[in-house]
Amino acid sequence: MPDPSFVFAQSLSGLTAAMFLFLIASGLSLIFGVLRVLNFAHGTFYMLGAYSAYQIVQWLGPGPGRFWLAALGAALAVAALGGIVEHFLFRHLYDKEELYQLLFTYALVLILSDVAKIFWGTQQKSVSRPPELTGSFALFGATIPHYNLLILLLGPAIALAFWFVLQRTRAGRFIRAAALDRETLGALGVNVDRLYTVVFMLGSFLGGLGGALIAPMRATVPGMDTEVIVEAFVVVVIGGLGSFWGTFLGALIYGQVLSFGILLFPRFSIFAVFALMAAVLIVRPWGLLGRPLR
Amino acid sequence: MQRRMILVALLSLVLLVPVAADAQKPIKVGMPMPLSGPPALFGDPATKGALMFVEELNAKGGVLGRKIELLVRDSKADANEAVRVARELILKDNVDFLVGTLTSAEGPAVSVVAKENKIVFIAPIPKTDQLTAADKLHPYVFRVAATTTMGGRSAAEIVAKWPVTRVATMSFDYAYGQDVTKAFVEHLKKVKPGVQIVDQQWPKLGEQDYNPFINAQMAKRPEAVFSSIWGGFFVTYSKQAKALGFFDAIKYNFIGVGEAATPETTKSMGADYPVGIWGNSYDAFYWGETSAHRDYVARLSKYLKDEYPSSWAIQGYIGMQFLTEAIRKANSTDSDKVAQALLGLAVETPMGKLTIREKDHQANRGQLYGKTVKDPQYPFAIMKPAVYVDPSPFMD
Repeated sequence: MPDPSFVFAQSLSGLTAAMFLFLIASGLSLIFGVLRVLNFAHGTFYMLGAYSAYQIVQWLGPGPGRFWLAALGAALAVAALGGIVEHFLFRHLYDKEELYQLLFTYALVLILSDVAKIFWGTQQKSVSRPPELTGSFALFGATIPHYNLLILLLGPAIALAFWFVLQRTRAGRFIRAAALDRETLGALGVNVDRLYTVVFMLGSFLGGLGGALIAPMRATVPGMDTEVIVEAFVVVVIGGLGSFWGTFLGALIYGQVLSFGILLFPRFSIFAVFALMAAVLIVRPWGLLGRPLR
Repeated sequence: MQRRMILVALLSLVLLVPVAADAQKPIKVGMPMPLSGPPALFGDPATKGALMFVEELNAKGGVLGRKIELLVRDSKADANEAVRVARELILKDNVDFLVGTLTSAEGPAVSVVAKENKIVFIAPIPKTDQLTAADKLHPYVFRVAATTTMGGRSAAEIVAKWPVTRVATMSFDYAYGQDVTKAFVEHLKKVKPGVQIVDQQWPKLGEQDYNPFINAQMAKRPEAVFSSIWGGFFVTYSKQAKALGFFDAIKYNFIGVGEAATPETTKSMGADYPVGIWGNSYDAFYWGETSAHRDYVARLSKYLKDEYPSSWAIQGYIGMQFLTEAIRKANSTDSDKVAQALLGLAVETPMGKLTIREKDHQANRGQLYGKTVKDPQYPFAIMKPAVYVDPSPFMD
C-alpha cells in the first residue's frame, strides 16, 4: 500500500479535477435546468474560451495580471456569443422536439469547431500559467502547484456565489420559477425570453471561463471541445441534470473515483467511472440529487 | 456558309482538345489524410509537404513527361472514413496511386483497399507494426514512416546509456501506445538486463488530466521515464507534470518518443517546455546536417511562409519522392511495375538515403533524437545535438 502522503496527493488531484469539471458542468446543468435543453455545444464554448484567452494573452503580451484580464475577457466574449446564439437561433427551438434541439446543438459543435480552425489553425496553442502562480508548495509530502490550488478554491467559491444568487436574489427566484413553470411566470409579467437569454449567457460564461482557466494546464487544440463534453455529461448524469448541488456532488465523486481508480486498478479507472454512471442510471435515472422529469 | 465553316472549325477544335490533353494527362495520386480534429496537426503539414514536392516536380516537367495531380481528401483520422475516401478516389477519381493516412487505424484499413484494387499505397506516417507484418503484407503496400518497434528500440538504446535502473512508462492505452512501450521495455531489458520497470501508467487516448497518473507514478520513485504521449496531448501532459515537479524528481531523465521534441511543440510551449528532457522528431528545420536538408528547409520555409517550418511536411514529401522515383524507374504507371520498382528502391531524401526493404516493404526511416536545450538563437528549446538514429541495426 502506498504511503499516506501519496494517498493525500492523489485525493487532492482528484479534487482539483472535480472542481474544474464542476465549473464546466455547472453551466451545462444550469442551462438544462432552466431551458430544458441539453447543450452539446457547451464543450465548444469551453474550447472557444481557451482559444480566446490565448488570443487575448497574445495581444496583451506577458506581464503580471494579464492572464486574469484575458480569462475574464474570454469568458465575456463567450457569454456574448452564447447570447447571440440563444437570441437568434435557439429561441426558435424551444417548442420543437428534443431531437431537433440535440441536432441543432450538434450542428453548432461542428460549425464552431470549423470556425475556430479557420481562426487559429490546427497547430496546438499553449498559454503559460500566470507569473504570480507558477510556484508550488508542499503539504503533508504532496506537491501542490499554486495554480491547482486556485482552481481548487474557485470551484466552491463559484458554487456559493451561485447558490446565493439562486436562493437569495430576485433574479434567482425568477430563474428558479422559470425552471418550474415558464408559462405562469410569463403570465405574471416577467419577460421570460430575456430571462432565457440571460441564463444561456450565464451558462456560456461558465463554460468559457472554464476553458480560459484550464488553458494554462492543458494544450489548446481542435478536439478539446468533444473531450470535455463527455466528462461534463458524466458528471451531470451522476449528480442529476439540472440540479445544482447534484452537479457539485457528481464532480466530487467523479474526481475521487477516477483518482483512486488509477491508484488501485490503473487499467480500469475509466471503466469505474462509467460503471458508476451506469449504476446511477439504473437505480436513480434522474441522478443522485436530481428530480424525475415531468 | 462562312458561319458554318467557323462552326465546323470550332467543333473540330473542341474535339481536338481532349486528344491533345490526353497526351498531357496527369498521373493522379490520391491522398487520404486527416485534415480535421486533433490529428490535423500532423495531417495538414504532411499534405503541404507533398503538395510542395508535386509543384516543384511539375515545374520541372513532371515524371515520364506527365504532370502529377494530387487529390487530397479528409480522412477524419477514422478508419471507416479513410476507407470510404480511398475507395472514392479509386473508383470515382480514377487515381493511379495512393499516398497517405496518418493513424495506425487508418493505415491498415486503407492497405486492404489497395490490395483489393491492386493499387500501390505508400503510408508516410502510420507506425503500427501491423501494417507491414508478414500476415498483412501484400505486393502493393509500402511504408516510409518509422514503426513502433523502431521507435521503442531507438529510445531503449538511448535510455540504456543513462545511469538509471528504475524505469517507468507512461503511454496511451491503445495499439500505438502499447506496442511502442512493449518494444521499448523488451529491448531495454535485452540491452541492459539489470533494469527494473517500476511502474506503467496507461491513461486513455486523449486524456486531459494527468495529475493522478503523475502522482501515482512519482510514488513509485522511478529514476527515468519513457513516454509515447504525442502531439497536443504531450503539451497538456508535460505542463501538468512540470507543475507537479515531476521532471525535477526524475532529474529530467525523460524520453518522449511521441515526437515530443518537434519544433512545433517546443515553440508552442515556449518557456513552459520542460527543457532538458529527451525527445524525437521526424525532422527539425535546424538540423541541417546535409546540404540537401538545408536546401529543403529553405524551400519549405518559403512555401509555407514560416520561418520555422513544420517537421511533419517531410513525411508527405518523402512519400511522394518514393512514388515518383518508382514510376521513373519502372518507366510506367502500371501498378504492378511500380510496386516491383519500389522493392529495394533507394532514394536520396532530405534526411539522407533511405531504402525500402524487399522483405517487408519498410523503409529504414529513422528519426532525430536529442536532449532539449535552450538556444539563444531561437525563442524556444531545440534538440542539441539532434542525432539521426538509423534504425537499420534493430529493425528485426
